[in-house]
Amino acid sequence: MKGFFKWQGWVISLLVLVLLAGGCTPPPPDAGSSGKQKLVYASTADVVGLSPIKTNDRASARALDQIYETLFTRDPKTMEIQPLLAESYEQKDPNTLEITLKKGIKFHDGTPFNAEAVKYTFDKFRDPKTAAPRASLLEPIDEVIVKDEFTVVLKTKKPYGPLLAALAHSNASIVSPTADKKGNLMKKPVGTGPFKFKKWVPGDKLILEANEDYREGAPKLKEVEFRVVPEVSTAISLLETGEVDLVDSLQPEHLDRLKNNQKVNVKTNDGTPVTYLGFNMKKGPGKDKTFRQAVAHSINQEEVVDALKGVAHSSKGIIGPKVFGYNKEIEKEGYDYDVKKAQKLLKEAGMDDKTMTITTANTGNYPTLAELVQGQLSKAGLKTKIQTLEFGAYLDRLRKGDFEMVIGGWTNSTGDGSELLYPQLHSDNIGASNGTQTSIPKADELIDQTRTTTDKEKRLKVLHEANQLLVKEAPWVPLHHGVIVIATSKNVQGLEVDPTGEWHLQNVSLK
Amino acid sequence: MAGLIVRRLFQLIPLLLGISFIVFISLHLAPGDPASMIGGPTATREDLASIREDLGLNDPLFTQYFRYISGVVQGDLGYSYQTKQSVTEAIMIRFPNTFNLAIASIIVATVIGVGAGMISAIKQNTSLDALSTIGALAGISIPNFWLGSVLILLFAVNWQWFPAAGVTQPPWTLQGMKELILPAITLGTGSAALIARMTRSAVLEVIRQDYIRTARAKGVKEKSVILLHCMRNAMIPVITVIGLNFGFLLGGTIITEQVFAINGVGRLMIQAIANRDYTMVQGAVLLVATLFVLVNLLVDILYALIDPRIRYE
Repeated sequence: MKGFFKWQGWVISLLVLVLLAGGCTPPPPDAGSSGKQKLVYASTADVVGLSPIKTNDRASARALDQIYETLFTRDPKTMEIQPLLAESYEQKDPNTLEITLKKGIKFHDGTPFNAEAVKYTFDKFRDPKTAAPRASLLEPIDEVIVKDEFTVVLKTKKPYGPLLAALAHSNASIVSPTADKKGNLMKKPVGTGPFKFKKWVPGDKLILEANEDYREGAPKLKEVEFRVVPEVSTAISLLETGEVDLVDSLQPEHLDRLKNNQKVNVKTNDGTPVTYLGFNMKKGPGKDKTFRQAVAHSINQEEVVDALKGVAHSSKGIIGPKVFGYNKEIEKEGYDYDVKKAQKLLKEAGMDDKTMTITTANTGNYPTLAELVQGQLSKAGLKTKIQTLEFGAYLDRLRKGDFEMVIGGWTNSTGDGSELLYPQLHSDNIGASNGTQTSIPKADELIDQTRTTTDKEKRLKVLHEANQLLVKEAPWVPLHHGVIVIATSKNVQGLEVDPTGEWHLQNVSLK
Repeated sequence: MAGLIVRRLFQLIPLLLGISFIVFISLHLAPGDPASMIGGPTATREDLASIREDLGLNDPLFTQYFRYISGVVQGDLGYSYQTKQSVTEAIMIRFPNTFNLAIASIIVATVIGVGAGMISAIKQNTSLDALSTIGALAGISIPNFWLGSVLILLFAVNWQWFPAAGVTQPPWTLQGMKELILPAITLGTGSAALIARMTRSAVLEVIRQDYIRTARAKGVKEKSVILLHCMRNAMIPVITVIGLNFGFLLGGTIITEQVFAINGVGRLMIQAIANRDYTMVQGAVLLVATLFVLVNLLVDILYALIDPRIRYE
């Protein structure tokens, strides 16, 4: 009997403890709402690492944007490229960009920021031995020359129009050479940005603290926590309970829940991402332009945008309204939604009784879009099967060109049209980023021109021409252009969201 | 007993070698490529080639396997392809979270499961028995994902009794316990249901035996008959189920870790698989396999402690 009471006693104590714990109100969460000027961001993925040279993922980029700085930056409202660590620049000749750097800036470890630091960063980034995942960003640079302590000269192999946009990309952030030589930036980053590294528990959280010596004054936030919350619905619950202050990566199904919440602000901003229905241009029916036109006429973009409940906007262009190179004239071109015409063209292409497979990844809106597209194509008389793959397997299929039709997308983090067309639709990148295996000689020529033209107005013109040609050739049928959606607690002030989805916390504060 | 332990530990060596080989081959046969995942959709052919070279993926498969396994036998599980972090370090950061969650869940499962099973057996064919059976069926059938989300909405968002997600404090602190309660209930219900079914049938089998009748005839109180005479003998199959479940829980509880944002081994493994982070997947699988064997060994030892008739040669 003694044993019994002992055992029973344990159970009762445990139950009492559980009830006691449940009955107490949790202490105020260690978040911004406590008035500590600490902002907590719920990130669906952990950072891969903290070096701009060795990473190429969204979660890392969001953190890098607060720790490091680039030579140039993009104004989130106008999308204009402006100097950041650069003071000024001059295009000396089509292959030479001379950049004068700001003076008196120090990295978080005290190392002075100068032309040597820029050269060190870019040389390491471009060195094949480094195996930088985003090495292609600075591939057009041939040589980095230190002219004097605060002047650096970038020599390109050919004239390179999107160079400033590339230099404004998170991966082109300048690192402290001393810190990189001494330690591992992947674990202990050292930049010049408004926030300094404090602590990283891989898989759990990354904590940054204010750089009190920041040249434009210390940021108002004293601490920023990047908390890994893989499920967006859990992240939203945390936002509702005040345990986090900022959530992004939101899907249409989350918006209603958030919009009805008094404690939460939802910000939307038309963005640069584009989502498309693509064809295998190398083999199968996708090679036939008549078939592609039939499919293009079957797609009702307005219906797609409506179905995505505010996370999409429409444009007929492959280069969308928020991307450099867009011209609204494109809206008059492209293919209108016209089922009868689609039916006629399908017959012409001999595809009216065939079944095609739409390959898609199991991420984001892709499965929803695949079903929507399937419905629209069936109205025009084209039967389709949907093949949903895990992202790694999906990417593999795309690289190998092993699919018939595909739902795909491109975020375009430089916001420049060339950085969309070249990787995705130029024949140079078949087997890599050009998943649809597109090889249209005239388009290649135009895309090359968009890269080699350095004059801004001329670039706009040639990007529009390339956009027109590609819309007509239709290797892609644009399904929608993205809207960046972020949700914050009501006390977050001063947050601006760039159309590429980037945000900076330098001017953010908590009420 | 010592012989059993030594024998089992020796058996681990070929088992782990076999597992590492199968995992290695399956990962390489599966579609997808680590370089592609590191480079992402933006990577050019040149980017991919230099990443592959850097990771040694251009070497023949057997060279890659032997390079890996020779590291493992020296205690080096290698470095993550993706984060360049030590695999051992990455696992060690996460394992305590998974371990604490597994312990909390198995406590919840055992308390509910054994309790419900006993009541069900003692009150056989009554409404209590039916209720317990229905409860067990529901426990097995309700998906963790759904249950977790509902518990968060009710107890964290609406009533604010518990934190919605995450583990920030050690489990022996009040805050730490609060953080573990919802995930432990989410995870424990499935195991509780199994334990309840097993306890019910084991108790029913034992309760009909002669020595129980003798005990009752001697005038021993019913409580003692059940808890001291009956339960001890009924515990063997129950402990097997508890042990097996605990082994599974230690292997990472992917969905619960995902829903409650717990930085555990299950989540590490699923991310590593998604990223084709071969070294990380292999390290995590080896850990899980070792733990599973050790937990089963522990269960065997417990048998002998509970039932002195069981002896290991």
